[in-house]
Amino acid sequence: MILDIKERLGKTKYDVDKSYAHITVDESICEKCPHHFCVMACPAQCYTLQDGKLSFQYEDCVECGTCSVACDQGSVKWHFPKAGKGVIYKYG
Amino acid sequence: MPDYDAIVVGAGNAGSAAAITMAQKGLSVLLVDRSDPPGAKNLSGGVLWGNDLARILPKWQSEAPLERFIQDKKIGFLTDKSSIIIDFKTKIFEENKVGYTVLRSKFDPWLAKKAREAGATVIPGITVESLAKKDGKIIGVEESGDIVTASVVILAEGINPRLCIEAGLRGPLQDWEVSVGVKEIIKLSPQKIEDRFNLSSSSGMASEYILGNLEELNVGAFFYTNKDSISLGIVAPMEQLRENGVTHTYDIIEQFKEHPSIAPLIDGGTVAEYGAHMIPEGGLEMVPKLYGDGYMIVGDSAGFGFSNGLVLQGMNYAFLSGILAGETAVEAKGKGDFSSDSLSMYRQKLENSYVLKDLKTFKDIRKVTNNKNMYTTYPKMLESILLEMLWERGQPKKKVRDILGSCAADLKMSKLKTATDFYYIYRRM
Repeated sequence: MILDIKERLGKTKYDVDKSYAHITVDESICEKCPHHFCVMACPAQCYTLQDGKLSFQYEDCVECGTCSVACDQGSVKWHFPKAGKGVIYKYG
Repeated sequence: MPDYDAIVVGAGNAGSAAAITMAQKGLSVLLVDRSDPPGAKNLSGGVLWGNDLARILPKWQSEAPLERFIQDKKIGFLTDKSSIIIDFKTKIFEENKVGYTVLRSKFDPWLAKKAREAGATVIPGITVESLAKKDGKIIGVEESGDIVTASVVILAEGINPRLCIEAGLRGPLQDWEVSVGVKEIIKLSPQKIEDRFNLSSSSGMASEYILGNLEELNVGAFFYTNKDSISLGIVAPMEQLRENGVTHTYDIIEQFKEHPSIAPLIDGGTVAEYGAHMIPEGGLEMVPKLYGDGYMIVGDSAGFGFSNGLVLQGMNYAFLSGILAGETAVEAKGKGDFSSDSLSMYRQKLENSYVLKDLKTFKDIRKVTNNKNMYTTYPKMLESILLEMLWERGQPKKKVRDILGSCAADLKMSKLKTATDFYYIYRRM
């Protein structure tokens, strides 16, 4: 019953917009970030640290907006996905 | 002439309720939502208290896609090895069915359909890019270079209100204003649900817990029965997550599922969906200016919600604020005046309703929900007291007063500190 986060995200339906990232991060800011709290806060593991460097992907984003609050360094820019794209909850 | 009397941005509970209210009174209404079907981005814990819905949809109980009516309400504490639960099951809930579990991906499209039936134009799959302004007034919405105008724009964007923030109608959200909610849907057969929770084919159970098993984090959890699934999840305040700094939000929910009193309840079930959503927690202090020339803000976008650690409500506040904004727009249309002055009636209506009354009554509630003792020390204290009272270990028995004293000492709490803390919580809850 206890599932890895990737497995859990696999249960959720998306229509990923391959041509538009609705969230962008500024790597030069993330490089100097003292906490990388986004890695802990994001419920969809969109933010990970690899060899101390922040890596971001928007494809698994469930659009909760948590990272827009978690990032206090001005790196995360959050926009709504384009029409109908992104997460599509079947239960909600 | 504007294209519409009103444009509503967001077909959640607040937005659709506003659209229905206005359309029923003959206003021309455009309701847009960025998902298709409408509401497919929406997620909630899942208990809907529908008193206010009856004002606009008297037959909601028989028509809406509801899961189970709440007959059994539990609140309690979990520690590492124990669960201490108050189980409140009453005929009163059965005789007055107003609380139901819902799945928003079913409920929200139904509510948007009701807006369409009332005469609103409902367009799902439209992401409004910005608010159109003229001479400091909001005059409509903009998408792909096109501007659609209205006498009033009702902003029902939810808890992540990008348009409001970008237009300067409210500031960016701060840590203290939100919690992170993480939720899973666990599929379980109706038979298993009814046997396991002692329910009928239509009754349901809703539990809310304080998780006393997580050191240094004030996290609440919920567990609700649907027809053939369980909605469960955790609610973690952003402030605490940041202070803690080492816990992944997606791990906390699994810790909840693994708890010895929770795991057997979902045994044999399969995870059908995973999701997350922020929850307004800032109370009265986070409420922005709710209206201005040509606009009103409703629901989560306005910070309307209630949480005291054991009770978590938001959908009822969404319905009522949407209805009151809708009524204000109807009156404004009658006067032919959509200025800030005219729309200030919305604030007045909220002041007279439980929406702002609750936020005012519980303006200090964050001091309780931020109290670490509530989530660590007191659940443990309660556990120790119950162990002393309800367990036999061949030891001499103690009076409750002495049990309390020794538990407080074990947990490094003075009697005075405990007593003042209890009084403090009691005054604010």
